[in-house]
Amino acid sequence: MKEESVKKLLTTLTAVFMIGFAMTPFLYMLFTSVNAKPDFLEAGWLFTLSHYRDVLGADSLHFLDYLKNSILVSAAASLVTVFIASISAFAITRLEMKGKLFVLFFVLAVSMFPQVSMIGYLFKIMTALGLINTYPALIMPYIAWILPLSLWILVSYFSQIPKELDKAAIIDGCNEWQVLFKVLFPVALPGIFSTLLLSFIFAFNEFIFALILTTDFNARTIPVGIALFEGLHGQIPWGQIMAASVVTVFPIMIMTLVFQRHIIGGLTKGAVKG
Amino acid sequence: MSVLSKKEYRPYYFIAPLLVFICLFILLPIVGTLFTSLMRDVTFLPQKFIFLGNYSDLLRDEGFWRSMRFTLFFIAVAVPLEMLLGTAFAALLDMELPMRGFLRACVLIPWAIPSAISAKIWQLIYNYSYGLANFLITHLGLSQGPVNWLGSEGGAFAAIVIADVWKTAPFVTLLVLAGLQAVPHDLRLQAKIDRANFAQIFFRVTLPLIKPVLLVALLFRTIDSLRIFDVIYVLTNGGPGGSTASASLYAYKYFLGGDFGYGSAVSVLLFAVAFGMSCLYVKVSKFESEI
Amino acid sequence: MNLKLLLPLFLAFALAAGCAPEKKELVFAVGGAPSELDEWESVIEDFSREKGIKARLLRQPTDSDQRRQGILIPLKARVRNPDVFLMDIAWIGQFAASGWLEDLNPYINKEGYDLGKFWKNILDSADTFGGELVAMPVYIDAGVLYYRRDLLEKYGVKKVPEHWDEFIAVAARIQEKERAQNPKFFAFVWQGAQYEGLVCDFLEFATMEGGGIGLSGGKIKLDTPANRAAAGLMRDLIFKHKISPPNVFTDMKEEEARLFFQSGNALFERNWPYAWGLHQAGDSPVKGKVGIARIPAFPGRSSVSTLGGWHIGISRFSDAKSEAWEFLKYALSRGTQKKLSLALGWNPARKDVYSDPEVLAKYPHFRALSEVFSGAKSRPQLPYYTQVSDVLQRYLNSAVAAKTDPASAFGSAEKEINAMMERYK
Repeated sequence: MKEESVKKLLTTLTAVFMIGFAMTPFLYMLFTSVNAKPDFLEAGWLFTLSHYRDVLGADSLHFLDYLKNSILVSAAASLVTVFIASISAFAITRLEMKGKLFVLFFVLAVSMFPQVSMIGYLFKIMTALGLINTYPALIMPYIAWILPLSLWILVSYFSQIPKELDKAAIIDGCNEWQVLFKVLFPVALPGIFSTLLLSFIFAFNEFIFALILTTDFNARTIPVGIALFEGLHGQIPWGQIMAASVVTVFPIMIMTLVFQRHIIGGLTKGAVKG
Repeated sequence: MSVLSKKEYRPYYFIAPLLVFICLFILLPIVGTLFTSLMRDVTFLPQKFIFLGNYSDLLRDEGFWRSMRFTLFFIAVAVPLEMLLGTAFAALLDMELPMRGFLRACVLIPWAIPSAISAKIWQLIYNYSYGLANFLITHLGLSQGPVNWLGSEGGAFAAIVIADVWKTAPFVTLLVLAGLQAVPHDLRLQAKIDRANFAQIFFRVTLPLIKPVLLVALLFRTIDSLRIFDVIYVLTNGGPGGSTASASLYAYKYFLGGDFGYGSAVSVLLFAVAFGMSCLYVKVSKFESEI
Repeated sequence: MNLKLLLPLFLAFALAAGCAPEKKELVFAVGGAPSELDEWESVIEDFSREKGIKARLLRQPTDSDQRRQGILIPLKARVRNPDVFLMDIAWIGQFAASGWLEDLNPYINKEGYDLGKFWKNILDSADTFGGELVAMPVYIDAGVLYYRRDLLEKYGVKKVPEHWDEFIAVAARIQEKERAQNPKFFAFVWQGAQYEGLVCDFLEFATMEGGGIGLSGGKIKLDTPANRAAAGLMRDLIFKHKISPPNVFTDMKEEEARLFFQSGNALFERNWPYAWGLHQAGDSPVKGKVGIARIPAFPGRSSVSTLGGWHIGISRFSDAKSEAWEFLKYALSRGTQKKLSLALGWNPARKDVYSDPEVLAKYPHFRALSEVFSGAKSRPQLPYYTQVSDVLQRYLNSAVAAKTDPASAFGSAEKEINAMMERYK
């Protein structure tokens, strides 16, 4: 009984700390977005929704264009990434293949390179392909950039799943694709959904590529779009930036809420028993 | 190729798309950067091949060493914190809690905010005159007057670490959480029947099972922290007195100044460090045996 | 399989072959706040309509490093776009030495374009490189001192102090009295964070003989008595006289200083002229109480202002150079300059706008500015100025923060910069 109460106390404390830690800056952001001035803590509250009106209503800010671009680019990049990473992870964990460790480490090694040094070459590639300021100019490098992480995550999840499962399926006469889609996928669904979410957020957050490879609201994404809010001498319209950020966080919140059912529910106990 | 039978060759079809993307959009630029690092590639001077000239200059460059020391120290402090908090949050979210879905979404928020923006939030929080941090400590009576958070080397360092941990702990949480979900519940149940307490269950049963996921989180957090840029760029721009300049920021300044050779050499050295650390992790953790 | 082999080959070929087929449309790269960009958008529209040249705006972020990166990478790749762009005055040296900027002299000579409308000191020190005119000013900045007229009057100060000793005495006296009602009050705010603005402020403090960034025989000279005195003064303002707040050296850039002053918590402020319009805006607590003066100097010396601002240049790789020249002229025309000034409070590059009655009615402070501009000094026009400034910022910030004494800070900076300059011989 004593142990139960210790556990309960510990759980509660961690939960309180976690919420405070994660949410305080966000709430601060939320409050700043509905206050006329950023110094509301000292100078007093002045509630207003004008920042939201500015951000959503002003055509010249193109905020909704940026949001649309961000969502489309990130969705395309993360879906393709997770598909490619899954089949690769399947091959690495389940198939007889020489050099699988080499592939894993090669992919990991290249992902370590600082982006800032490569952007010049990417610009040249995209200029040569005539893709500057288009979705593919962002989607393709994003796929390449998120793949190493996705691959490693999925390899680690797939390797947690007992191999007896697919052996049984092969005995039942399944081919490799069937093993992958009918046996591994359902069991690894939590891993796949978290990878999808991680990939989406990665693409959604990226700044430097988007800054250099796009030139206007036809392809620019949110992080660069919001960087365009500032004034010539660094005047920061805090209210507008925070309002834009709050609006930006919503798609991700919704995605998380939708996906988290799958993150929990994907695992069927029977399957893992093997 | 003809040596391989058709059957042996098949698995490679599965990884072909992966390799194509990586080679085109990462390897190609990397090879370019490697070449650039061996050149005097300065926009305002004629290009010439100088082999290791940039590297030998770098080794004698006090500013570079300072930025390297800062970066490594930053990793040594920030990454363990991120892992610790991220894992603790994941363990918590793995339990049967009320409003679990909501809690999960909350924890993810910091990571969902693009770092270009979240750095700005922290800038506002640390603002000397009306930021949240000074508001809290003066109103809670912890300090007489406002604190100049970014004014001392230690303060600026801590400020950057906190902002970075806030942003990236959720990444670890999400990874570890999914790993925990894949741990069969019967195992833990069994341990409970064997009268192990919950700490013992966590450390002896659960943790070893999620080791691969933990390793992946650790690897990618380390690699990513080596490249730390955005938070510092916004919060301190390397100040005070250059004490918080990261290696990436150092390289960036050289790229801006048109010295692509030197900036590339910094990048290549950073890469070498990342590579060395990853090899070490993998060796120590015996990752090969896990696949 | 073949396809996988071919794709990299195709890519390599495409890279070697260079650019895709062309379409002639003038591209003008400019950054700034939405309101500023909207104004440029309307300038571009008018230009297209009046001159019959198709043109569009490439919107960049405001952050000056990001703007620079956005222009630098296309120029280094030698692509056609952008054709014409705005540069910070501090980049011109690098861009020109890299051979990226079109020489404007042939265009000017051909048409007999009148350069007399512009400040000669600015054209000579900032826009001329190796005998070529590589850029033209669009918007001029120079450091000025803002002061609270009402407070000086209240404490019987007739004239804004011109020298530091007098300045510090006045500031300390008024600060002490004002603190009684406003504990947050500080007499003087300026830019001390580790960034380019710190160098600008420093050059204004270093008014003594031999101050500033000295260059001779391919070596840099920083550790001079004048510079030590300047850095020492900057540090003392914060730590000894305590008339500047402690966050000056951490988070004070232009905006932080402006907001501090504007909320009524400061007596003096060093800033660029843009702050005037904001101080005088409708909701500003200091509206109607602000004056502009020159930045103080050391006794016996006269005031110095650092030249800032944005300049327009044409890319040497542009495929629409004559159209770009037309746009450059349009952007510098009296009409456009007046329009930008009235809409955004910008300080025009043309002298004649400063005597325009409509402009003067809106911005009476322009009269004082035009005198400041004619004496303003630019930063050294070095191709590697960015690298020099980066090192200097670090050591200077450390000295201002009282972490290093000025002599050893400048000594180390000198050593590091000289080693760096060896690379660029």
